[in-house]
Amino acid sequence: ENISDFSLNVTDCTQVVVPEEVFFTVAAAGILENLLVLVAVIRNKNLHLPMYFFICSLAISDMLGSLYKTLENIFIILCKMGYLTRRGDFEKKLDDAMDSMFILSLLGSIFSLLAIAADRYITIFYALRYHNIMTLRRALVILAIIWTFCAGSSIAIALFSYEAATVIPFTILFPLMMFFILCLYVHMFLLARSHAKKIASLPTSTVHQRTNMKGAITLTIFLGVFLCCWAPFVLHILLARFCPHNPYCACYMSIFHVNGTLIMCNAIIDPMIFAFRSPELRSTFKKMFCCAR
Amino acid sequence: MSALRLISNRTSQQALSNSDYTWEYEYYEYGPVSFEGLKAHKYSIVIGFWVGLAVFVIFMFFVLTLLTKTGAPHQDTAEPSEKRFRMNSFVADFGRPLESERVFSRQIAEESRSLFHFCINEVEHLDKAKQSQKGPGLESNTHFQEVPRSSGIFEEDLNCLTKFNIPNFVNTEQNSSLGEDDLLISEPPIILESKSVIQSSHRILD
Repeated sequence: ENISDFSLNVTDCTQVVVPEEVFFTVAAAGILENLLVLVAVIRNKNLHLPMYFFICSLAISDMLGSLYKTLENIFIILCKMGYLTRRGDFEKKLDDAMDSMFILSLLGSIFSLLAIAADRYITIFYALRYHNIMTLRRALVILAIIWTFCAGSSIAIALFSYEAATVIPFTILFPLMMFFILCLYVHMFLLARSHAKKIASLPTSTVHQRTNMKGAITLTIFLGVFLCCWAPFVLHILLARFCPHNPYCACYMSIFHVNGTLIMCNAIIDPMIFAFRSPELRSTFKKMFCCAR
Repeated sequence: MSALRLISNRTSQQALSNSDYTWEYEYYEYGPVSFEGLKAHKYSIVIGFWVGLAVFVIFMFFVLTLLTKTGAPHQDTAEPSEKRFRMNSFVADFGRPLESERVFSRQIAEESRSLFHFCINEVEHLDKAKQSQKGPGLESNTHFQEVPRSSGIFEEDLNCLTKFNIPNFVNTEQNSSLGEDDLLISEPPIILESKSVIQSSHRILD
């Protein structure tokens, strides 16, 4: 479309473009699924527990991520059709708002996962006092604090993202949180293993190793999905900040849309591995659909 | 993050971007990136990143699998394999620790909710396991087949009741890192006690 393109080397890394239909389908599926989780938890009184509130928080942050992508796509289509200008002040503000929504979604996801892991940790290690430690009110307060912090950080990062100082803490936060969540789960695992050993020492018990494998698989899926969906994008931010003109970095950055689609896939997978594993929630869904029909 | 806008009409944006430096437009401007003289493959970062990520996830999986190898001493083939202990399913499934215990919550004191639930289910499953043990005597379970059901339940009730021995749990609460060791150290003598009860009940039946 312009001559300068032809002057570049033929082995140029062109942008890998994901078709818009795929984008919209994935985003819509993510939004609908998470909305379903929210509605189910709100409607069923039995699910008004701290554990489910943290899962709802995760669902909200996933929804924000997919919503961001959808709005961005709509925005770009409107730009292409000429309804919006690219340099207008209003568009710039809109763009900033959308970017802060995205960062809010990422931070919200990380902190929600942390809250879910901490809640399970308290459930297992402080089982007798769980209901005194994690009351409903405390859970709501914790969620309010998390979301206020995420909102403040996202606005700050969006406004000051041109400075390196904001990118570095953002990218350090990500592996730190992952490592902390991994430590919590590993400790829970060790306790579970010792419990299983004690049961195995009872004369009539049998311990099936397959059930213990299931725990390892579950945990690997939790953390692996989060890593695989978010890490490519975080690396992209790092590379865009520090080596935008390096050919290797430029080739990595050419797959940006694939990374964005991965984030939306995370929004689809998360309810399946957190929310839908609970039988109570599944039965609520069935009731909702049966009543709707 | 507004990269899609840059696909069309790159030259006009390049002219404007120098004067209008805003981060969202500057983000994905490739500009004149030359691909001459690349030593490695141009997608090397992409490939390296994904391979590294896959290796890390697989490594984490193996570490977790190694952690969960318990080496069960009594693996009897005649046991029904479909019945699993509730404890194991709790252990394996992190998805539903407490919400299925709401059935018991209104009847049982709050402090003993989760562990009492484990015990109840252990008793249930052990009963079902015993009922289905109709085959010839198995080496580790022969003496249990001969024990009538009532004393079997009695023995399991003893085990359950010993778990509610408050001093043990006070220890577990305060030092969670030592908790498992405390339980392991304190439990065997109690189990021996119950075994002696069974042996005495044996003598009574014989």
